[in-house]
Amino acid sequence: MTPETAVVQALNGISFGALLFILAAGLSLIFGMMDVVNLAHGAFYMLGAYITLTVVQRTGQFWLALVLAPLLIGALGLVIEPLLLRRLRGRHLDQVLLTIGVSLVIADLVGLTWGREIRSIPFPAGLDHAITILGGDYPVYRLFVIAFGGLLAVVLAVVHRRTRVGALIRAGVDDAPMLAALGVDIDRLFATTFAVGAALAGLAGVIAAPVFGIYPGMDVDYLIYSLVVVVVGGLGTLSGAVAGSALIGPADTFGKVLVPQFALALIFAVMALVLLLRPTGLLGRIRIAR
Amino acid sequence: MPKSEQGAVRRALSRFALPAAALAVAALLVTFPIWSTPWESSRYATGILRDMLILAILALSLDLLVGSAGMPSLGHAAYFGAGAYAAAIAGQRLGNDDLLLGLGAAILVSALLALVIGTVAVRAAGIFFLMLTLAFAQMVFAIAFQAADITGGSNGLVVFLLVLLLAWRLRSSAYGRALVGLRENERRMRALGYDTTRLKLSAFVVAGAIAGVGGALQAYSIRFVSPNDVGVARSVEAFVSVLIGGVSTLLGPVVGAVVVLFIERVMPSYIAFSETVLGLVFIVFVLAARRGIVGLVRESYARVRA
Repeated sequence: MTPETAVVQALNGISFGALLFILAAGLSLIFGMMDVVNLAHGAFYMLGAYITLTVVQRTGQFWLALVLAPLLIGALGLVIEPLLLRRLRGRHLDQVLLTIGVSLVIADLVGLTWGREIRSIPFPAGLDHAITILGGDYPVYRLFVIAFGGLLAVVLAVVHRRTRVGALIRAGVDDAPMLAALGVDIDRLFATTFAVGAALAGLAGVIAAPVFGIYPGMDVDYLIYSLVVVVVGGLGTLSGAVAGSALIGPADTFGKVLVPQFALALIFAVMALVLLLRPTGLLGRIRIAR
Repeated sequence: MPKSEQGAVRRALSRFALPAAALAVAALLVTFPIWSTPWESSRYATGILRDMLILAILALSLDLLVGSAGMPSLGHAAYFGAGAYAAAIAGQRLGNDDLLLGLGAAILVSALLALVIGTVAVRAAGIFFLMLTLAFAQMVFAIAFQAADITGGSNGLVVFLLVLLLAWRLRSSAYGRALVGLRENERRMRALGYDTTRLKLSAFVVAGAIAGVGGALQAYSIRFVSPNDVGVARSVEAFVSVLIGGVSTLLGPVVGAVVVLFIERVMPSYIAFSETVLGLVFIVFVLAARRGIVGLVRESYARVRA
């Protein structure tokens, strides 16, 4: 590998990591608050990408999709939590199983609505050119993904640490029943958390659509990626999502270049190793393995 | 008839009614390809029946984990697929399409794979176990990118009945009861001196090996193995079968497999959104009937008798 390709692949890896961060942040938030691993997370992501496809085809406005898709998917989360998950509160495993059903329904409806073939959309206007890096062309959109992921991490960190909502989230992650006993409307908090987590998955879908592909089966692929990221980084913490995506994004990208057939095997090897050495994940607080 | 005798007859009926019904159904199934020949879609229906048996084997092996030991694996297709590939490749390389050879290769490879993945996965419990099994299965899927085909045939039903018998024997064995203890109270099992991690790992390996048997049958009867046999969709199919049919009810996974494949293979001829139906049915069972179809039948039967 020449130094030039190494730099390009490093950028690719970081931009993939930035995308994974957006995705994993939502999964981690929901888990941290509700102790539910949302297995419909990949389906929400998929829905975000397909909504972007329609918005871009109809209006040509990528930026409209960037606002619209997370809102719609957040609204869907706002319906699903009270309608389904709330009935099983306290039964975490059953709640997780429920999200499998939700995921089956969404993936099938997406297939029925948009068809079951691979789709693509152009880079959004303004980000559709390439810049020269070390004598080679590099798409600006990927740099935008890096910037967007970084900015989102900062915004989420500030919200988490400095705002009242952030204080509620931190308290909820620590001890949700105690928070309820203190008079906080836990139903509303959980519904909002699930909606925000779902919206983040949708947002990741929008960001991914021009560059990481729109295809049937993307729901499962990216659900797995986000699971690996949160397991490696540590569940339920924002810094864990950052650490996990910073490790898995480049690892997967370089894996695909160096050992194409075993790229996924590589990131799972990383995951197994991290679990054996640090059962909480790199920066987590919850023990995933004994 | 005196009352006590009536009771005895009733007990005898309830003791033998179920096995007798199962035998009758089995006899009907064995002869299905023969008595259905006048029927236009006999071969198609035979194919679906065969797939139901194969999924039932996978679901039975999964129930050993989910039902007995309380280990919700969402990556069980990995061992099924490993078995299918092992059987197909062993058949190809050795130029021998003997079913016993394929089954042996499948059991060996599936058990080994389950041992490797299980070593990491059984260290996690509950939701985390589910996440890890799902993720590791996807890794196996990524490696199994090439398809393999095989010639040969098999009588799946005999193997299915053997697996059913094995599952039944396991349930009532000391080992099976130790697994139930694991599900009910792992800490107490440890206090009683059981090495629970080893017990879990052994359950994982046994379940993996039986799933491999299902995979070998798939390879022999469909004569083609593809990465889809290893994929998440297959794992979910098996998991949904176990839950819809009834966790830890012996026949539940079989009933579930029949229902799931009915929805996935028969319904699409009539409606386009059969996967949606499957998802909704699954949601309803998780929400309202966690004991599955067999559990519901048993409950209502008990109510009628009372």
